[in-house]
Amino acid sequence: MAVDMKLFRDFVEQIRMLPQMAQPTDYPDSDRVQAARQVFAAKLNARLASHLDACVHCGICAEACHYHVQSGDPDYTPVRKVELLRRYYRRERGAFAWLYRLFIPDITEQDLEQWQPLVYDGCTECGRCSMACPQGVDIASMVGVMRQALAKAGLIPAGLRAVEQEQGSRGTVFGVGPDELTQALEALREKGYEIPLDKDRAEMLVLTSTLDVLLFTDALESTVKVLNHLGIDWTIHSCAFEGANFGMLSGFEEVQKQASERIVAQALRVGARYVIVPECGHAYPAMRWEAANEHGAPLPFEVLAISEFLGREVMAGRLVLNPLQSRTVTYHDPCKIGRHGGVFDEPRAVLEALGLKLEEMPAHREMNYCCGGGAGLFLIESAAHNRDLGFDLKRQQVESTAAESLVTACGSCRLNFLAGADRVGWDRDVESLIELVGQALPGPGER
Amino acid sequence: MIPVSAFVDGPLWIFSLVVFLAGVGWRLLGMLRQGLGRDFSRPRASSLTGALHALLFRFLPPRGMAKRLRFHLLAGYLFHLGLFALLFFALPHVEFLSERLLGFGWVAMPRWAFILAAEAAFLGLLMLWLNRVLNPVTRLISNTGDHAASVLLFLVMLTGCLALARSHESLRLLHFLFVELLMIYFPFSSLMHSITFLFSRPAIGAHYGRRGVSS
Repeated sequence: MAVDMKLFRDFVEQIRMLPQMAQPTDYPDSDRVQAARQVFAAKLNARLASHLDACVHCGICAEACHYHVQSGDPDYTPVRKVELLRRYYRRERGAFAWLYRLFIPDITEQDLEQWQPLVYDGCTECGRCSMACPQGVDIASMVGVMRQALAKAGLIPAGLRAVEQEQGSRGTVFGVGPDELTQALEALREKGYEIPLDKDRAEMLVLTSTLDVLLFTDALESTVKVLNHLGIDWTIHSCAFEGANFGMLSGFEEVQKQASERIVAQALRVGARYVIVPECGHAYPAMRWEAANEHGAPLPFEVLAISEFLGREVMAGRLVLNPLQSRTVTYHDPCKIGRHGGVFDEPRAVLEALGLKLEEMPAHREMNYCCGGGAGLFLIESAAHNRDLGFDLKRQQVESTAAESLVTACGSCRLNFLAGADRVGWDRDVESLIELVGQALPGPGER
Repeated sequence: MIPVSAFVDGPLWIFSLVVFLAGVGWRLLGMLRQGLGRDFSRPRASSLTGALHALLFRFLPPRGMAKRLRFHLLAGYLFHLGLFALLFFALPHVEFLSERLLGFGWVAMPRWAFILAAEAAFLGLLMLWLNRVLNPVTRLISNTGDHAASVLLFLVMLTGCLALARSHESLRLLHFLFVELLMIYFPFSSLMHSITFLFSRPAIGAHYGRRGVSS
């Protein structure tokens, strides 16, 4: 179903107001530098060291970066974005630190400020550069460390900081808390859906996101529809429903851990065997790859992206879908779910089960181009131009196919595509995988 | 006083060899001693398979990028393949390695192959260096050490070609001197990538491999 564009534009307008809500983070300059250095010291390990030691400055990573490809700006060369981490390693921790210290200048407050737009506005941590590097330098992981260092130094851009502060202090995102969730679920109950809210025990704990509560409500409805259709013992909890993790996006680890641990604790309480992450790109790595490490032990439940879950059910023959009207679509692999998560085959199996003809873009699966607005860029006002650059590249990719619509499984990607489409008057539809599945299933009372 | 030839062939050779071996070892140790944390997340696939995949397949162009990277690829393959052939299959090198270091030798390449390899290596190195100087990206991210490595390599290769005829002992000594300087510089420079790729590629391969992504 199409998104209500008036609602969408209002939502975007509210995002533009975010910087005004951010609390200031006033640090003395020396404290900022010290905070960043502490993060570098804590995060450096042999894996990162091998990457920092291996770079030969060949520039191939630039040719993989959507922002450099579109702008030609050498500042967006991915490995340049991690220069401060490299400098710290060589001066303080590397084998010849005693020697390099004589030649390599220490990090300054001005350096941190100079690198802030490169690390936040100029990188979505999509990881395409990591795939292209002949030396195997994992630049995306290192940009993550750079973000953590800048976050600790109080240099998160205002828009992103506002949401991180809200989630850190109140546990809500864009003002969506238990009451707002309950209200959204009540609306679904009125449509006839059974909603197992706040059950004590369940096999599956389902997360949603603010985007699905406020804007992409059909995604939430479709999730309920498919879970009920499959007869799964599931629940959604009003105290731990938010999949989005703005601690992770901003690099602020304390908030990241707090948000993840809330979900982990709830999953353990209800005895869940599965935690389902909604169509929210970064929510997947936050729970799938990072949560156990923040928890400090393996987790006794499996974390699945909703697209991954749907694909598994289709592949196992448990989910049979009514074919939709036959047409050609293309699929955008959300970077955090695809390249960083390995979920490639499952969404494609769902598209096939829906009777849709998939035509791949030239760059797809692990070499897919980012939507342009991931990793919180959608909330950073100064990144508006880069988001447009990313969208324009994606548009070229889509238009090189015969696809009538672009399907994805990430709310943030969808947000950026919709904003781009609205800006240029693009005629291709932007669709959600879970919503398509919802359309292929009978609703309550239907056969 | 020791004659220059004896110094270059004797003490300086030993010194450069010691610096090279100790420096490479120390740099690798400095990298590995940073330690690794435990990853408690459930793997989707094998880290080992991912590590091996990255180690081998990153010799090939990244999927879908060959056209965009044609200059990098052409220059990179020409230089690296040419240099590899020269280093390990040029007759004087095979003899040197056999007599001075290993105690055994292998079949050297014929002269025409040497000429081809040398031309490829020279062309590749020049292309890479010009790219480093002229391309706004590489110009921005390159440092003095990168340029020094290019210049040293060029001098080693140039003097190596001059010494090929083995008509003048002084030319062989000059080549050997630059080789020794390169060996001394090697552990401190980005030339170490010829060894560190054995660690960085498996590291990224294992990371993405356990997530079920071929990298």
